[in-house]
Amino acid sequence: MSLKRKNNAREGTPDEDLEEYSDYSDVDNYGEEDDDSYKPAPRIRINNNKTKAQTTTNSNEARQSGISAMFGQNDFSNLLGLKLDHTARPLWINPIDGRIILEAFSPLAEQAIDFLVTISEPVSRPAFIHEYRITAYSLYAAVSVGLKTEDIIAVLDRLSKTPIPPSIVDFIRACTVSYGKVKLVLKKNRYFIESGDASVLRLLLRDPVIGPLRIDYSTQSSKQKSSKPSNEDNVEDKKDITNDSSKETAEKSSSDELFSAVVGLQEEEDDEDAVHLFEIKHSSVETIKKRCAEIDYPLLEEYDFRNDNINPDLPIDLKPSTQIRPYQEKSLSKMFGNGRARSGIIVLPCGAGKTLVGITAACTIKKSVIVLCTSSVSVMQWRQQFLQWSNIKPDHIAVFTADHKERFHSEAGVVVSTYSMVANTRNRSYDSQKMMDFLTGREWGFILLDEVHVVPAAMFRRVVTTIAAHTKLGLTATLVREDDKIDDLNFLIGPKMYEANWMDLAQKGHIAKVQCAEVWCAMTTEFYNEYLRENSRKRMLLYIMNPKKFQACQFLIDYHEKRGDKIIVFSDNVYALRAYAIKLGKYFIYGGTPQQERMRILENFQYNELVNTIFLSKVGDTSIDLPEATCLIQISSHYGSRRQEAQRLGRILRAKRRNDEGFNAFFYSLVSKDTQEMYYSSKRQAFLIDQGYAFKVITNLKGMENLPNLAYASKAERLELLQEVLLQNEEAADLDDGEDTSFGSRSLSRAPAKAKRSSGSLSTLAGADNMAYVEYNKSANKQLKKDSKEHHALFRKHLYTKRR
Amino acid sequence: MQAEFKSSINDFLEQLPNHARLYQKPAACLAVFRLLPILARQYVMSMLFNPMPVALSDFDLWIKLSSKVYQSESFNKLVRMHIFQFDGQYITLNSEFRKQFITALTGGGNHNSFGVPCTDEDKHLVTVDFLDAYAKETWETILHFMVGTPEAKFPGEGVLSLLKRGGLMSGPKNQLRITRAGFQFLLQDINAQIWTLLLDYLKLSEDTHMDPVQVLHFLFMLGSLDLGRAYSVDFLTDTQQIMLEDLREYGLVYQRKITSKRFYPTRLATGLTTDYRSLHGKQSENDDDKGFIIVETNYRLYAYTSSPLQIAIIGLFANLRARFSNLVVGVITRDSIRRALMNGIAAEQIITYLTTHAHPQMRSNVPLLPPTLVDQIYLWELEKNRLRATPGILFRDFLTDSGFDQAVEYAKELGVLVWDSSLKRMFFITTTGAQPMIAYLKRRAVK
Repeated sequence: MSLKRKNNAREGTPDEDLEEYSDYSDVDNYGEEDDDSYKPAPRIRINNNKTKAQTTTNSNEARQSGISAMFGQNDFSNLLGLKLDHTARPLWINPIDGRIILEAFSPLAEQAIDFLVTISEPVSRPAFIHEYRITAYSLYAAVSVGLKTEDIIAVLDRLSKTPIPPSIVDFIRACTVSYGKVKLVLKKNRYFIESGDASVLRLLLRDPVIGPLRIDYSTQSSKQKSSKPSNEDNVEDKKDITNDSSKETAEKSSSDELFSAVVGLQEEEDDEDAVHLFEIKHSSVETIKKRCAEIDYPLLEEYDFRNDNINPDLPIDLKPSTQIRPYQEKSLSKMFGNGRARSGIIVLPCGAGKTLVGITAACTIKKSVIVLCTSSVSVMQWRQQFLQWSNIKPDHIAVFTADHKERFHSEAGVVVSTYSMVANTRNRSYDSQKMMDFLTGREWGFILLDEVHVVPAAMFRRVVTTIAAHTKLGLTATLVREDDKIDDLNFLIGPKMYEANWMDLAQKGHIAKVQCAEVWCAMTTEFYNEYLRENSRKRMLLYIMNPKKFQACQFLIDYHEKRGDKIIVFSDNVYALRAYAIKLGKYFIYGGTPQQERMRILENFQYNELVNTIFLSKVGDTSIDLPEATCLIQISSHYGSRRQEAQRLGRILRAKRRNDEGFNAFFYSLVSKDTQEMYYSSKRQAFLIDQGYAFKVITNLKGMENLPNLAYASKAERLELLQEVLLQNEEAADLDDGEDTSFGSRSLSRAPAKAKRSSGSLSTLAGADNMAYVEYNKSANKQLKKDSKEHHALFRKHLYTKRR
Repeated sequence: MQAEFKSSINDFLEQLPNHARLYQKPAACLAVFRLLPILARQYVMSMLFNPMPVALSDFDLWIKLSSKVYQSESFNKLVRMHIFQFDGQYITLNSEFRKQFITALTGGGNHNSFGVPCTDEDKHLVTVDFLDAYAKETWETILHFMVGTPEAKFPGEGVLSLLKRGGLMSGPKNQLRITRAGFQFLLQDINAQIWTLLLDYLKLSEDTHMDPVQVLHFLFMLGSLDLGRAYSVDFLTDTQQIMLEDLREYGLVYQRKITSKRFYPTRLATGLTTDYRSLHGKQSENDDDKGFIIVETNYRLYAYTSSPLQIAIIGLFANLRARFSNLVVGVITRDSIRRALMNGIAAEQIITYLTTHAHPQMRSNVPLLPPTLVDQIYLWELEKNRLRATPGILFRDFLTDSGFDQAVEYAKELGVLVWDSSLKRMFFITTTGAQPMIAYLKRRAVK
C-alpha cells in the first residue's frame, strides 16, 4: 500500500502525487463504517461420488473456505502461524493495514503499550484489548525520537504471537530508512536545508518542486556585497567560496560542478563531519516540507538550544513549588530526548495539564517564546499561567490581541497572541502592523501552538511559516478532524510525540472519572408532525427545541444543583441557547456576548454559590477555563463532530472537586428520539468510545413529571412554543460562529432586524391566546449587569448598611 | 442437560400406545432401565427375579417416612412406563419386560438385539479416529448449515425436512433460516442436540408410517454397541435398514457405501444413553468449558477460537472483521444485531451466549458484560418491537352520536375495544368481538 504510493510519488507529477496522497488519507477505519448487512453466499449443493474419507476431507476444506469467505482478505489464520510460546506474547499484527491488537492484561502489556504508543497510532484503548495502527507518520515519529529500524522490528518480533508478516517488515524498513536524514535549520532568521549526506541534497535539488525553490547563494552573496560594499568579511567569504568552486571544478563531473556552485561547504563548530546545506525562502517552507514528506524524506527539525549563542537567553525557570506529573515528564522526555528540542505534537486530555507542559518546555529552552491560542480569553489565561508556574517577570510577557498591542522591552521574552491576529492578511492598524513587524523580524526559540488541531485550516496554516521559530510544539486533546487535513500537521508542525491514555489518567486520579450518558427524549406529537414536514434547516431547530428535551434539561439542572454540582449547558444553536437560558433564568454566553459581560458571568460562576449553571455556545468548547464545572449537559451540537464531543467532555475533566469513590463528573447528551440527531450522536461519540468511555443510554428520567414548575407541561404551552419556532427564519437554525467580539465580527454578523407578519385577531391583540405585552422572562444577564453598577459613595454606604 | 433429554425421551415413551412390543427386545429393556430414576432402578432389580406379586404395604417398609414422595414419583414413573402393573393392592413386574431384561443381563438367547458383529475382516481399515472425524464432520455440516456458513455443504433431504419439522429452521425450501429455537439448539451440548433431533425424528416417523417401536429398538441397540466394531446389516428389519440410511446422514453410523453389508456405530451413537459430553477427548472438553470471548465497551468483540462453528455462530450477530490463528475480531453493531433479531434470535439469547462464553479475564468484571452493550442490545430489540399488530374490525359511519356512544359502551363491556375516536365516530375491536357486536348492531337496527 504505502510502497505503491511511494513509487508513484517519485515518478509522478505533482497533481498525481496529491491525488495519491488524498487516496492514502481515506484509509479504512472500520470502527466507523456503515456496513451493509452481511449476507451468506449462495449455498452450493455438492454432489460427491468419492469415498467417505475423501468426502470428509472435502467437507473440511469447504467449511474452512466457507469461514474464510466471511472474512474475505482478512483471514490470516493460515498465513500467520503461532509461535510456540504465543500465550506469553501480547500482540497480533494485521499484515494488510498494519493494525496491531494487544492484550492489555498480558504481563508484558505495560512495556508493549509504551513501545506501541511510540511506533504506532492508538486506535482504541478500552479495558482488555487495545488496537493500534502502524502508519508512515507514526514511524516517522518513532525515528524522530531516536528509534532505529532494526530495533523496531526486533522488539515487534519479540512481542508478537506470530512471526512478523513480511509486508510489515518491508513497510517499516521502507519508511524508516530515509527518515531523519534531512534537517530544516533556522539560522539568523534564514532557513536552510541541511544534511550530512550530500547525495540526499542532490536528490532534493533535482526534484521538480524543491529545486526551483532554493535561493542561489552567489546571487544572495552579491546582494549582500552591494548593500555593504566596504565590509571586508563579506569579501573574504566570497573569496573562500570562489576558491572552493574553482578547486572542485577540476575534479568532478558537470552535475557535481552544478551542485558545488549551489551548495557551500561549511564546518559546524561542534560537529567534525562536513555538513551540506542550501537556503530556502520563508514562504517556501511549507511547500518544501510537504514535498519532502511526499517523497519520504521528511525534514527533521531539532534545536540545539544549549549551544545557541546567537539568540539571547530568556531568564525563566519553574517555581520550586511547581510539580510535574509522571506522564507530563514522559511527554517532555519525548521532546528533549537527546538534549535537543524536537518539533511535534503532544496530545493530552483536557484537565491533564497541557499548559504546564508547554511552560515547562519554555523553561527548558530558555529562549524567546511565542504562544498562539484560539481566543483572547485563552491569551489572558496563558499569561496568567506563565506567571503562576514560572518565575518570569511580568514585563517580560507581552500580549497581542485586539485590545492589547504591547511588546516586551527586554532582549528575550514571551508573546501570547491568537491565530487570528497573526494570520490576518487584511489591512492592519498601525499598532498591529508594528507588532507584526516585531514578531516576524526576529528569530524565536520556541513557538507554542495551543489547540493545534485548528492549524490545518486554510486560514491558520500560514501562521507556522510566518513566524520563524526553531522549535514548534503543538498541544491538543483531540487530534481528529472530520476533514482529511489532520495529517498535514505532520509536516506543518511535526510528528505526534506523545498521546496519553484517557482511562489510564482517570484511574490514577489525574483527570476526573466521568459518567457518560445519552438521554433519549421522545419528540412530542406536535413537534414530530412538523419535523416530518419541514426542510432540513428547520428540522434541526425542531428537534433542538423539543419540549421533552427542555424538560429533561430542566430536570437534570435541578437534580445536579441540589447535589452541589456546577453545571454547564452547551448549545451551538444561538436561538435555542437564549430560549433555554431565558426560560430557566440562567446566564448565557455566546459569540455575541461582550467581553466584559462574559468575564463577569464566569467570575460569578466560579465564586458565587448562587450561580451554579451557565449556558455556553461553541465559544465554550475550548476557550474558557472552568475548573469548577462537574456536570455538562449538551442540547445542541455541530453535527457529527467527534472533536467537539471530546472537547466538551474535557470541560469537566479537571478533577479538582471531590476525589471520593466513583464518578466525580457527569456528561449528558440530550438527543431527540427518532430524529437525525441520533445518527449524529453516535458518530460524535466514536472517539470517546475508542478511548474507553461508555455512554449509557437513559430512556426515562424518573421523577421528571413530578418536578415543580416543569416547563411546557401542558399542551397549550407546547403549541405556543411550536408557533414561536415555526415563525423563526432559517437563520435561527444557524450555529454560533464562535468568533470573538474583539474582531468586530459581531457587528458584521448581526443582521438587521426584520419585521414579522403574522395573522391575528382582535381577541389576540386584547391578550387572549397567551399573547402578552409585558416581558416576563427577562434575561438573567441584564439583571447581573444592573447589580454590578457603581454606586456613589454616599449611596454605597447606605446600601451596605441596609444589607448588613 | 442429561436430565433434560432424559425427561424428553421419557415423556415420549410414556405416550407410546403399546409397550408390550417395545419390551420384546433385550437391548430396549436395558436402555429403558438406564433412563429410569435411581430409586426406580432399585425397585426393578429387587423385583426382577421375584415372580410373586408384592403388596404395596411391603414397599413402605423399605423407606423412611420422609422419603415417601420419592417413592411415589418412582412408582408413578414405573406404572406409566408399564413396567409395574398395579391392581390396587399388589404390584407385579411386567412379565415380558422381566423375561427380556433377564436375557439382556445374562447374555442368553438368540434375539440379535445387541447387534450381530461381522466375523470377517474388513478389507478397508476403519479406525476409531476415522469414525470420530467422520462423525464430527457430518454433524457439524448440519450445524454449519443452520448457522448459514457460506459455501457450506447441504445436508440430505431427510435432514432438511427434519430441521423444518422440528422448528429449528423455517422458510421456503431453498432459503431456510435459523429460528429462535434453532439458535437455542446451537447453544446446547452435542448429546442434547442429538436427542432433540432424534425425538423430532421419532415424531416424524409417525407421519411416514414407520413403526416407532422399531425405531426405538434400533436407537437403543445403537446405544449398546461397541465403538470401532463392524456390525452386520443382514439382521436388521426393513424399517431399521431405512433408518440406517437416515442415521448415516446425521453421522451416527458409518457405511462405506449404500450397498455395504456392514455398518459402524460412531461415538455419537454409542453415547446415546451415556453421559458423554462431546465429540472430543478430555483435552478438548477442558478447552470447551473455558470461555473465549472478550467484549469491550466500544462494541468490539474478540474471540479466542479457531473453531469454524463458533466463528460462524458469532457471525450470526456480529460483523466479523479479521481472523488470526487463534483470534477472531468482530464488531457488534445495530445492523448486525438487527440481522440476528430478524432471524428470530432473541437479545436474551445473545447476551446469554456472550455471558456463558466470557473469557476468564472478563469474569473479574462486575457485571460481566459491559452494561452499555447489554442495554444497547435490549434497546435495539425494543426498537424492533415497537409496533404490535392486532387483527380486528373497524366500525364507522354511525348516524348519531348516541348510537356511536352506546356501541362503544357495549364493546367496552365485552372487553374487546381497542381504539375509538368520537370525533370520527369510529372504533376498532378485536376479532373475537365481531359476532356479538354485529348481533348487537342488528338488534338496534331492528328497533
